[in-house]
Amino acid sequence: MQEDATRRRNVLLRGQLAAMLFMTALGYAQQPSTKNGEWPHYTADLKGTKYSPLAQINASNFNKLEVAWRFKTDNLGTRPEYKLEGTPIMVRGVLYTTAGTRRSVVALDPKTGELIWVYSLREGQRAAIAPRQLSGRGLSYWTDGQGDDRVIFVTTGYRLVSLNAHTGQLISGFGKNGMVDLKEGMVTGTGQQIDLETGEAGLHSTPLVVKDVVIVGSSFKEGMTVVTHNNTKGLVRAFDVRTGKMLWTFNTIPRPGEFGNETWGNNSWATNGNTGVWTQMTVDDDLGLVYLPVESPTSDFYGGERPGDNLFGESLVCVDLKTGQRKWHFQIVHHPIWDYDLSSAPILADINVDGKAIKAVALPSKESYLYVFDRITGKPVWPIEERPVPQSDVPGEKTSLTQPFPSKPPAYGRNFLKIPDDLIDFTPELRAQAKDAVARYKTGPMFLPPVVGDSNMLGALNLGNASGGTNWPGAGYDPETHIVYAQAHQSALFPVSLRTPPPGFSDIHYVMGRNDTDFRVSEGPGFGSAADAPQPKRAPVRAAATPAAPAAAPAGGLTVQGLSIVKPPYGVISAIDLDRGDLKWQVPYGETPDAVRNNPALKGMNIPNTGQPGSVGLVVTKTLVILGDSQVTTTPSHPRGAMLRAYDKATGKEVGAVYMPAPQSGSPMTYMLDGKQYIVVAVSGGAYSGEYIAYSLPPEE
Amino acid sequence: MPRARGLMRNSRKTECGAKQFLSGLVVRVASLALTCLISLAGVVGVIIAQSSTERSVWDAVYTADQAKRGEMLYANNCASCHGSALGGGESAPPLAGGEFFANWNGLTLGDLFDRIRVSMPADRPGKLGREQNADVLAFMLSVNQFPSGKAELEHQSEVLKQIRFEAEKPRK
Repeated sequence: MQEDATRRRNVLLRGQLAAMLFMTALGYAQQPSTKNGEWPHYTADLKGTKYSPLAQINASNFNKLEVAWRFKTDNLGTRPEYKLEGTPIMVRGVLYTTAGTRRSVVALDPKTGELIWVYSLREGQRAAIAPRQLSGRGLSYWTDGQGDDRVIFVTTGYRLVSLNAHTGQLISGFGKNGMVDLKEGMVTGTGQQIDLETGEAGLHSTPLVVKDVVIVGSSFKEGMTVVTHNNTKGLVRAFDVRTGKMLWTFNTIPRPGEFGNETWGNNSWATNGNTGVWTQMTVDDDLGLVYLPVESPTSDFYGGERPGDNLFGESLVCVDLKTGQRKWHFQIVHHPIWDYDLSSAPILADINVDGKAIKAVALPSKESYLYVFDRITGKPVWPIEERPVPQSDVPGEKTSLTQPFPSKPPAYGRNFLKIPDDLIDFTPELRAQAKDAVARYKTGPMFLPPVVGDSNMLGALNLGNASGGTNWPGAGYDPETHIVYAQAHQSALFPVSLRTPPPGFSDIHYVMGRNDTDFRVSEGPGFGSAADAPQPKRAPVRAAATPAAPAAAPAGGLTVQGLSIVKPPYGVISAIDLDRGDLKWQVPYGETPDAVRNNPALKGMNIPNTGQPGSVGLVVTKTLVILGDSQVTTTPSHPRGAMLRAYDKATGKEVGAVYMPAPQSGSPMTYMLDGKQYIVVAVSGGAYSGEYIAYSLPPEE
Repeated sequence: MPRARGLMRNSRKTECGAKQFLSGLVVRVASLALTCLISLAGVVGVIIAQSSTERSVWDAVYTADQAKRGEMLYANNCASCHGSALGGGESAPPLAGGEFFANWNGLTLGDLFDRIRVSMPADRPGKLGREQNADVLAFMLSVNQFPSGKAELEHQSEVLKQIRFEAEKPRK
């Protein structure tokens, strides 16, 4: 009897234990986390770290990685996509991502790449004219812990869509039939609702899902040759993740009565647009604080129609998660006219400086500065000094007298072109040619204002703005060692010259161009390339056309004998110690491009690794920093292709590399499932259309 | 399937030439036969040229006039993103110089041609016809200082796939 009872109790206990284990296995007992081997957010976690503690793939076996599966994205849209920028998430045994020119959502088996479900929305004209096209950066996940699991993303046509994570079906109780029209509430001028079909607004970053709230940014067309400065105004909004009901709005261009409105002189808040948040946001869910990296107002290069500092243009803004009320802000660039746009997810880091624990936020940037603040108060952890900068001589433009310069950590990439020190110096001849090449440009320190261009003045030559330093892929952070790992593009020269637009083209006084050449419209990347972009209507063969403008710069940019005028390394990876505010190490990123290695001008010379240009994302694991090449190379050691590389976190030494068929075009991610670690990366470019590739170790490992 | 259409056009031409050649022999319409002979010879010539796998961008594969036409098309359809000097834009890749060579070195002009045809110009992919895309490609070759010659660049992907893109001039 006694024995039977014990046995029964044991069975019962075992049953309870099994049930508990089952619940744990399903994950309902805990929130999705990198600690479970998952990758539940675009940036791994809400803090923007891109860190996973996984260690199965390490320095000793990285070279043995094999392709576990591939997922080709060509048929997710009317034509293949050549700029696949997504980073999948992996939650509870399913991998989710966006892909293709239609920006479809796919759920895949993380072990095989097998398609589980696919969702897409046919938006027609609305997607075709969207300012942010192609498949975007990815999506987000929400769970109530009770089996209501959802995937949330923003369509090309700027709709917030909520899907059942198990079936891919729309959540009927969210918004109207599963979606919220994000164009509702987007305005121009003093508050004129934009047209829902043709109005300018979009987004290709992922929504930020935290607790029961989903926060969404906004973005607009690129501002080089804008037709109006009075385009759609940026904002950030929060919605109830269950119902889609709007909770709050933060106006990135403050309205009368709101903080910062007076920084728009002559009431110019009413006649200017942009100032969205197009990159990833981060959040401290314990403190209830959200960090918004805001971009430039219209236009990117001329601010004559908006005198003043123009808050919250190019500012890091901290708002309350519950109310959207501003807690603090820091303007990284006053009166922005360089396209420095805050490009990267702010990283939330709990650090120790001089024995003092600080809850910090560290912002990687195109300027290659890491701006570090106390994330509760907004006070810089190390002094950020206002220093005098060059002033504009473009009529109507009034530049800020000073700009902020961090005293620590030092810049982790080159952020201006020092003449002659930063010019190519492989040979005296190349140096002399490089000096000639820049002779008709304005050169100098950071923040050179754009100039009116003609045949004698080709532009102000800044380095790092527009597409330099750390761009949208952002950086990573190890929360155990308090070290930020950042890749920087340090040869991104961006000459800017201005001209008056032709009569009737625009209400802005200056657009990009030169007065001595024919006016040409400059479009932003990817514009008009969505699945529903107009299908071929052939232009007349041999159409009469005006001849092209004479070359403003040597073919392929500022080059001499096929080489960048900028001295290598063209790109670097740095480890930045956030406790000390200094660089721990810095190494060239990737390997020497073919055009340098095989250059006839350098024949017989021993050229150390020059690294590669470009801005790419990375993953930080227990021991490695993993990121892929931005360029295809063909070397004695590997066939034509790009390499996915592993660097030792402690030293920056390259410890392994595996072959990719095309450059890395999206940030990698990693996860563990059934005892096996995987790395997934989006590749595309050149002749190679978008593909997600998963790598893992061979069975014996 | 534009690629299939290109092939069909080729084969139809050959078929028609042969048929007319035969009928010319039968009815002895000398002038027609002569025309057909010439056109057939032309087709055979193209086929011989196609069968050569040794051609590269260094073998004068386009004409200066074609590049000139391509320059106008480039200015109106490509320059807004890739820059008037082919230097690239904020995230449109350069179409000249090292990074461009790295992307295409070891592939063929057919790969590059199809990439342009399928996805460009970004605001209206497929807007330009095959001949126009070939002209734009000729312009890109001229800016990158590959030699021009007497024959225009073809606009059939299959033919272009037999012209290798070599960043470095092959030693002969």
